[in-house]
Amino acid sequence: MSALRGFLWLVVFLLCGEALVWALTLPISPGVVGMLLMTLWLALRGRVGHDIQAASQPLIAVLAMLIMPGVVGIFFIADEFAGQWLAVATALLLGTLASVATTLWLMLRFMPPEAADE
Amino acid sequence: MNSGWDGLREQLLATPMPAIALTLAAFFVGGWVFTRLGKPSWCPAILFAAMLLAAALVLLGIDYADYRAGAGWLMLLLGPATVALGVPLYQQLPRIRAVWKPLLISLPPAAMLAALYAVGLAWLLGASPEVLASLAPKSVTAPIAIGITEQLGGVIPLMMGGLLITGVVTTACVGLLARRLRLRDPRVLGFVLGVNGHVIGTVRAFELGPTAGAFASLGMSLTGIFSALFLPLAWRLVGL
Repeated sequence: MSALRGFLWLVVFLLCGEALVWALTLPISPGVVGMLLMTLWLALRGRVGHDIQAASQPLIAVLAMLIMPGVVGIFFIADEFAGQWLAVATALLLGTLASVATTLWLMLRFMPPEAADE
Repeated sequence: MNSGWDGLREQLLATPMPAIALTLAAFFVGGWVFTRLGKPSWCPAILFAAMLLAAALVLLGIDYADYRAGAGWLMLLLGPATVALGVPLYQQLPRIRAVWKPLLISLPPAAMLAALYAVGLAWLLGASPEVLASLAPKSVTAPIAIGITEQLGGVIPLMMGGLLITGVVTTACVGLLARRLRLRDPRVLGFVLGVNGHVIGTVRAFELGPTAGAFASLGMSLTGIFSALFLPLAWRLVGL
Protein backbone atom coordinates (compact mmCIF):
# COMPACT_ATOMS: atom_id res chain seq x y z
CA MET A 1 0.00 0.00 0.00
CA SER A 2 2.83 2.30 0.89
CA ALA A 3 4.34 2.06 -2.61
CA LEU A 4 0.98 2.84 -4.17
CA ARG A 5 0.53 5.92 -1.99
CA GLY A 6 4.02 7.03 -3.01
CA PHE A 7 3.13 6.41 -6.64
CA LEU A 8 0.20 8.75 -6.26
CA TRP A 9 2.63 11.42 -5.03
CA LEU A 10 4.87 10.87 -8.05
CA VAL A 11 1.93 11.18 -10.42
CA VAL A 12 0.71 14.33 -8.66
CA PHE A 13 4.15 15.89 -9.07
CA LEU A 14 4.19 14.81 -12.71
CA LEU A 15 0.82 16.51 -13.24
CA CYS A 16 2.15 19.67 -11.55
CA GLY A 17 5.10 19.51 -13.96
CA GLU A 18 2.68 19.07 -16.85
CA ALA A 19 0.70 22.12 -15.71
CA LEU A 20 3.84 24.25 -15.37
CA VAL A 21 5.10 23.22 -18.81
CA TRP A 22 1.74 24.16 -20.27
CA ALA A 23 1.41 27.45 -18.39
CA LEU A 24 4.94 28.69 -19.12
CA THR A 25 5.28 26.91 -22.52
CA LEU A 26 8.57 25.38 -21.37
CA PRO A 27 10.51 23.31 -23.93
CA ILE A 28 11.33 20.68 -21.25
CA SER A 29 9.47 17.45 -20.51
CA PRO A 30 6.96 17.44 -17.63
CA GLY A 31 8.89 14.60 -15.98
CA VAL A 32 12.02 16.71 -15.52
CA VAL A 33 9.99 19.65 -14.15
CA GLY A 34 8.24 17.22 -11.81
CA MET A 35 11.60 15.87 -10.68
CA LEU A 36 12.88 19.35 -9.86
CA LEU A 37 9.61 20.13 -8.01
CA MET A 38 10.02 16.88 -6.06
CA THR A 39 13.60 17.78 -5.08
CA LEU A 40 12.49 21.25 -4.02
CA TRP A 41 9.57 19.93 -1.99
CA LEU A 42 11.73 17.33 -0.23
CA ALA A 43 14.32 20.01 0.54
CA LEU A 44 11.62 22.20 2.08
CA ARG A 45 10.28 19.28 4.09
CA GLY A 46 13.73 18.12 5.10
CA ARG A 47 13.14 14.37 4.78
CA VAL A 48 11.91 11.65 2.41
CA GLY A 49 8.70 10.01 3.56
CA HIS A 50 8.41 6.23 3.64
CA ASP A 51 5.75 6.18 0.90
CA ILE A 52 7.75 8.14 -1.64
CA GLN A 53 10.84 6.07 -0.91
CA ALA A 54 8.89 2.85 -1.43
CA ALA A 55 7.54 4.00 -4.80
CA SER A 56 10.64 5.65 -6.22
CA GLN A 57 13.19 2.91 -5.55
CA PRO A 58 11.58 0.20 -7.71
CA LEU A 59 10.75 2.69 -10.47
CA ILE A 60 14.37 3.86 -10.67
CA ALA A 61 15.47 0.23 -10.81
CA VAL A 62 13.42 -0.42 -13.96
CA LEU A 63 14.21 2.89 -15.66
CA ALA A 64 16.13 1.11 -18.44
CA MET A 65 13.20 -1.20 -19.14
CA LEU A 66 10.87 1.74 -19.67
CA ILE A 67 12.78 2.99 -22.72
CA MET A 68 13.12 -0.48 -24.28
CA PRO A 69 9.92 -0.31 -26.39
CA GLY A 70 11.33 2.79 -28.07
CA VAL A 71 14.92 1.74 -28.54
CA VAL A 72 14.23 -1.66 -30.16
CA GLY A 73 12.81 0.33 -33.09
CA ILE A 74 16.37 0.66 -34.39
CA PHE A 75 16.35 -3.02 -35.41
CA PHE A 76 13.31 -2.47 -37.65
CA ILE A 77 14.30 0.59 -39.68
CA ALA A 78 17.50 -0.78 -41.21
CA ASP A 79 16.23 -0.52 -44.81
CA GLU A 80 15.07 3.06 -44.54
CA PHE A 81 18.52 4.49 -44.01
CA ALA A 82 20.56 2.16 -46.19
CA GLY A 83 23.75 3.92 -47.26
CA GLN A 84 23.89 6.15 -44.18
CA TRP A 85 24.70 3.53 -41.59
CA LEU A 86 28.44 4.18 -41.75
CA ALA A 87 27.83 7.84 -40.94
CA VAL A 88 25.40 6.96 -38.15
CA ALA A 89 27.66 4.32 -36.60
CA THR A 90 30.78 6.50 -36.77
CA ALA A 91 28.94 9.48 -35.31
CA LEU A 92 27.55 7.44 -32.44
CA LEU A 93 30.71 5.47 -31.62
CA LEU A 94 33.45 8.05 -32.12
CA GLY A 95 31.22 10.98 -31.15
CA THR A 96 30.33 9.35 -27.85
CA LEU A 97 33.93 8.35 -27.16
CA ALA A 98 35.03 11.94 -27.75
CA SER A 99 32.27 13.46 -25.65
CA VAL A 100 32.90 11.11 -22.73
CA ALA A 101 36.60 11.99 -22.81
CA THR A 102 35.80 15.72 -22.97
CA THR A 103 33.34 15.64 -20.09
CA LEU A 104 35.76 13.59 -18.01
CA TRP A 105 38.55 16.06 -18.73
CA LEU A 106 36.32 19.04 -17.84
CA MET A 107 35.24 17.40 -14.59
CA LEU A 108 38.79 16.52 -13.56
CA ARG A 109 39.91 20.02 -14.44
CA PHE A 110 37.27 21.86 -12.38
CA MET A 111 36.19 19.41 -9.68
CA PRO A 112 37.83 19.89 -6.27
CA PRO A 113 39.05 16.70 -4.54
CA GLU A 114 36.44 14.80 -2.56
CA ALA A 115 38.08 14.89 0.88
CA ALA A 116 37.20 18.56 1.43
CA ASP A 117 33.53 18.00 2.28
CA GLU A 118 33.68 14.82 4.29
CA MET B 1 -6.24 -26.28 -36.61
CA ASN B 2 -4.11 -23.55 -38.06
CA SER B 3 -6.95 -21.06 -38.21
CA GLY B 4 -7.66 -21.80 -34.53
CA TRP B 5 -4.15 -20.72 -33.61
CA ASP B 6 -4.45 -17.64 -35.76
CA GLY B 7 -7.67 -16.78 -33.98
CA LEU B 8 -6.01 -17.08 -30.57
CA ARG B 9 -3.03 -15.03 -31.74
CA GLU B 10 -5.28 -12.28 -32.98
CA GLN B 11 -7.29 -12.35 -29.78
CA LEU B 12 -4.15 -11.98 -27.64
CA LEU B 13 -2.52 -9.33 -29.83
CA ALA B 14 -5.63 -7.19 -29.65
CA THR B 15 -4.64 -6.27 -26.07
CA PRO B 16 -1.42 -4.54 -24.96
CA MET B 17 -0.65 -7.46 -22.63
CA PRO B 18 1.60 -9.52 -24.98
CA ALA B 19 3.74 -6.44 -25.63
CA ILE B 20 4.03 -5.78 -21.89
CA ALA B 21 4.79 -9.44 -21.13
CA LEU B 22 7.48 -9.60 -23.85
CA THR B 23 9.16 -6.41 -22.63
CA LEU B 24 9.20 -7.57 -19.00
CA ALA B 25 10.44 -11.04 -19.99
CA ALA B 26 13.22 -9.62 -22.18
CA PHE B 27 14.22 -7.26 -19.38
CA PHE B 28 14.52 -10.06 -16.82
CA VAL B 29 16.25 -12.51 -19.16
CA GLY B 30 18.62 -9.73 -20.26
CA GLY B 31 19.39 -9.00 -16.61
CA TRP B 32 19.98 -12.69 -15.94
CA VAL B 33 22.40 -13.00 -18.88
CA PHE B 34 24.15 -9.84 -17.70
CA THR B 35 24.66 -11.28 -14.19
CA ARG B 36 25.73 -14.64 -15.64
CA LEU B 37 28.47 -12.90 -17.65
CA GLY B 38 29.77 -11.30 -14.45
CA LYS B 39 28.22 -7.83 -15.01
CA PRO B 40 30.61 -6.69 -17.76
CA SER B 41 31.10 -2.91 -17.76
CA TRP B 42 31.48 -2.88 -21.56
CA CYS B 43 27.97 -4.11 -22.21
CA PRO B 44 24.99 -3.03 -20.07
CA ALA B 45 22.05 -5.36 -19.45
CA ILE B 46 19.74 -3.28 -21.62
CA LEU B 47 21.66 -4.19 -24.78
CA PHE B 48 21.05 -7.92 -24.21
CA ALA B 49 17.42 -7.19 -23.35
CA ALA B 50 16.84 -5.04 -26.45
CA MET B 51 18.39 -7.65 -28.76
CA LEU B 52 16.33 -10.42 -27.16
CA LEU B 53 13.19 -8.37 -27.53
CA ALA B 54 13.89 -7.60 -31.20
CA ALA B 55 14.60 -11.28 -31.89
CA ALA B 56 11.39 -12.32 -30.12
CA LEU B 57 9.32 -9.86 -32.17
CA VAL B 58 10.81 -11.18 -35.42
CA LEU B 59 10.35 -14.83 -34.43
CA LEU B 60 6.74 -14.31 -33.36
CA GLY B 61 6.02 -12.25 -36.46
CA ILE B 62 4.74 -9.28 -34.46
CA ASP B 63 4.79 -6.01 -36.33
CA TYR B 64 6.91 -3.36 -34.58
CA ALA B 65 4.17 -0.73 -34.87
CA ASP B 66 1.69 -3.09 -33.17
CA TYR B 67 4.18 -3.92 -30.44
CA ARG B 68 4.95 -0.25 -29.92
CA ALA B 69 1.26 0.60 -29.55
CA GLY B 70 0.90 -2.00 -26.79
CA ALA B 71 4.16 -1.26 -25.01
CA GLY B 72 3.26 2.43 -24.97
CA TRP B 73 1.40 1.63 -21.75
CA LEU B 74 4.70 0.69 -20.16
CA MET B 75 6.44 3.82 -21.44
CA LEU B 76 3.81 5.91 -19.66
CA LEU B 77 5.64 5.01 -16.45
CA LEU B 78 8.68 6.91 -17.70
CA GLY B 79 7.04 10.12 -16.43
CA PRO B 80 6.63 9.07 -12.76
CA ALA B 81 10.04 7.32 -12.92
CA THR B 82 11.70 10.58 -13.94
CA VAL B 83 9.97 12.34 -11.04
CA ALA B 84 11.26 9.58 -8.75
CA LEU B 85 14.84 10.64 -9.58
CA GLY B 86 14.13 13.71 -7.43
CA VAL B 87 14.54 11.49 -4.34
CA PRO B 88 18.25 10.53 -4.78
CA LEU B 89 18.85 14.09 -5.99
CA TYR B 90 17.47 15.46 -2.72
CA GLN B 91 19.42 12.93 -0.64
CA GLN B 92 22.71 14.01 -2.22
CA LEU B 93 21.86 17.72 -2.21
CA PRO B 94 24.60 18.72 0.29
CA ARG B 95 27.31 17.05 -1.81
CA ILE B 96 25.93 18.57 -5.00
CA ARG B 97 25.69 22.02 -3.44
CA ALA B 98 29.36 21.81 -2.42
CA VAL B 99 30.44 21.53 -6.05
CA TRP B 100 27.71 23.37 -7.96
CA LYS B 101 30.20 25.73 -9.59
CA PRO B 102 32.39 23.15 -11.36
CA LEU B 103 29.24 21.29 -12.40
CA LEU B 104 27.71 24.39 -13.96
CA ILE B 105 30.97 25.32 -15.70
CA SER B 106 31.42 21.85 -17.18
CA LEU B 107 27.86 21.25 -18.27
CA PRO B 108 27.26 23.65 -21.22
CA PRO B 109 30.46 22.73 -23.12
CA ALA B 110 29.96 19.03 -22.36
CA ALA B 111 26.33 18.98 -23.56
CA MET B 112 27.10 21.11 -26.62
CA LEU B 113 30.07 18.98 -27.64
CA ALA B 114 28.13 15.72 -27.13
CA ALA B 115 25.77 16.87 -29.90
CA LEU B 116 28.41 18.63 -31.99
CA TYR B 117 30.82 15.67 -32.25
CA ALA B 118 28.08 13.35 -33.48
CA VAL B 119 26.44 15.81 -35.86
CA GLY B 120 29.82 16.95 -37.20
CA LEU B 121 31.06 13.43 -37.87
CA ALA B 122 27.80 12.39 -39.53
CA TRP B 123 27.81 15.56 -41.64
CA LEU B 124 31.38 14.90 -42.80
CA LEU B 125 30.34 11.40 -43.87
CA GLY B 126 27.45 12.77 -45.88
CA ALA B 127 24.40 12.05 -43.71
CA SER B 128 21.09 13.68 -44.71
CA PRO B 129 19.63 16.56 -42.65
CA GLU B 130 16.96 14.16 -41.41
CA VAL B 131 19.63 11.84 -39.99
CA LEU B 132 21.58 14.77 -38.49
CA ALA B 133 18.43 15.93 -36.69
CA SER B 134 17.93 12.41 -35.31
CA LEU B 135 21.51 12.22 -34.00
CA ALA B 136 21.67 15.65 -32.35
CA PRO B 137 19.78 14.76 -29.14
CA LYS B 138 21.62 11.44 -28.70
CA SER B 139 22.73 12.21 -25.14
CA VAL B 140 19.36 13.60 -24.02
CA THR B 141 16.96 11.59 -21.88
CA ALA B 142 14.17 9.97 -23.95
CA PRO B 143 11.10 12.12 -23.15
CA ILE B 144 12.99 15.36 -23.85
CA ALA B 145 14.82 13.92 -26.87
CA ILE B 146 11.52 12.99 -28.53
CA GLY B 147 10.39 16.61 -28.33
CA ILE B 148 13.70 17.91 -29.67
CA THR B 149 13.76 15.46 -32.60
CA GLU B 150 10.24 16.42 -33.61
CA GLN B 151 11.19 20.08 -33.52
CA LEU B 152 14.32 19.55 -35.65
CA GLY B 153 12.56 17.27 -38.14
CA GLY B 154 14.31 14.01 -37.29
CA VAL B 155 13.14 10.40 -37.24
CA ILE B 156 12.06 9.13 -33.81
CA PRO B 157 12.98 5.41 -34.18
CA LEU B 158 16.45 6.34 -35.46
CA MET B 159 16.90 8.79 -32.58
CA MET B 160 15.81 6.17 -30.02
CA GLY B 161 18.27 3.68 -31.52
CA GLY B 162 20.93 6.35 -31.25
CA LEU B 163 20.04 6.73 -27.58
CA LEU B 164 20.56 3.00 -27.04
CA ILE B 165 23.95 2.94 -28.74
CA THR B 166 25.08 6.17 -27.07
CA GLY B 167 24.09 4.85 -23.66
CA VAL B 168 25.87 1.55 -24.24
CA VAL B 169 29.04 3.19 -25.60
CA THR B 170 29.07 5.72 -22.75
CA THR B 171 28.84 2.95 -20.17
CA ALA B 172 31.66 1.05 -21.87
CA CYS B 173 33.92 4.12 -22.29
CA VAL B 174 33.46 5.32 -18.72
CA GLY B 175 34.21 1.85 -17.41
CA LEU B 176 37.35 1.62 -19.54
CA LEU B 177 38.64 5.14 -18.81
CA ALA B 178 37.92 4.82 -15.09
CA ARG B 179 40.03 1.69 -14.92
CA ARG B 180 42.84 3.18 -17.06
CA LEU B 181 43.02 6.46 -15.13
CA ARG B 182 42.22 4.82 -11.78
CA LEU B 183 39.27 7.09 -11.15
CA ARG B 184 37.11 6.32 -8.13
CA ASP B 185 35.36 9.63 -7.44
CA PRO B 186 31.65 8.70 -7.70
CA ARG B 187 30.72 12.34 -8.29
CA VAL B 188 32.86 12.58 -11.43
CA LEU B 189 31.93 9.15 -12.81
CA GLY B 190 28.23 9.67 -12.10
CA PHE B 191 28.10 13.10 -13.70
CA VAL B 192 29.95 11.91 -16.81
CA LEU B 193 27.61 8.90 -17.11
CA GLY B 194 24.49 11.05 -16.76
CA VAL B 195 25.58 13.87 -19.10
CA ASN B 196 26.60 11.53 -21.93
CA GLY B 197 24.62 8.36 -21.35
CA HIS B 198 21.19 9.70 -20.21
CA VAL B 199 19.00 6.99 -18.59
CA ILE B 200 21.29 4.08 -19.50
CA GLY B 201 24.30 5.84 -17.99
CA THR B 202 22.23 6.76 -14.93
CA VAL B 203 21.23 3.13 -14.41
CA ARG B 204 24.91 2.17 -14.57
CA ALA B 205 25.76 4.96 -12.10
CA PHE B 206 23.23 3.61 -9.58
CA GLU B 207 25.08 0.28 -9.82
CA LEU B 208 28.21 2.15 -8.68
CA GLY B 209 26.37 3.60 -5.68
CA PRO B 210 23.82 6.22 -4.56
CA THR B 211 26.21 9.18 -4.89
CA ALA B 212 27.14 8.33 -8.47
CA GLY B 213 23.44 7.77 -9.17
CA ALA B 214 22.42 11.17 -7.85
CA PHE B 215 25.15 12.97 -9.78
CA ALA B 216 24.11 11.06 -12.90
CA SER B 217 20.46 12.06 -12.39
CA LEU B 218 21.58 15.65 -12.05
CA GLY B 219 23.82 15.46 -15.13
CA MET B 220 21.05 13.82 -17.13
CA SER B 221 18.42 16.40 -16.26
CA LEU B 222 20.75 19.39 -16.73
CA THR B 223 21.82 18.05 -20.15
CA GLY B 224 18.16 17.57 -21.05
CA ILE B 225 17.17 21.09 -20.02
CA PHE B 226 20.19 22.70 -21.66
CA SER B 227 19.84 20.75 -24.93
CA ALA B 228 16.13 21.47 -25.17
CA LEU B 229 16.98 25.17 -25.14
CA PHE B 230 20.21 25.04 -27.12
CA LEU B 231 19.65 22.58 -29.99
CA PRO B 232 16.60 24.20 -31.66
CA LEU B 233 18.39 27.55 -31.46
CA ALA B 234 21.61 26.16 -32.94
CA TRP B 235 19.60 24.47 -35.70
CA ARG B 236 18.00 27.75 -36.67
CA LEU B 237 21.36 29.54 -36.66
CA VAL B 238 22.99 26.95 -38.93
CA GLY B 239 19.91 27.06 -41.12
CA LEU B 240 19.29 23.35 -41.45
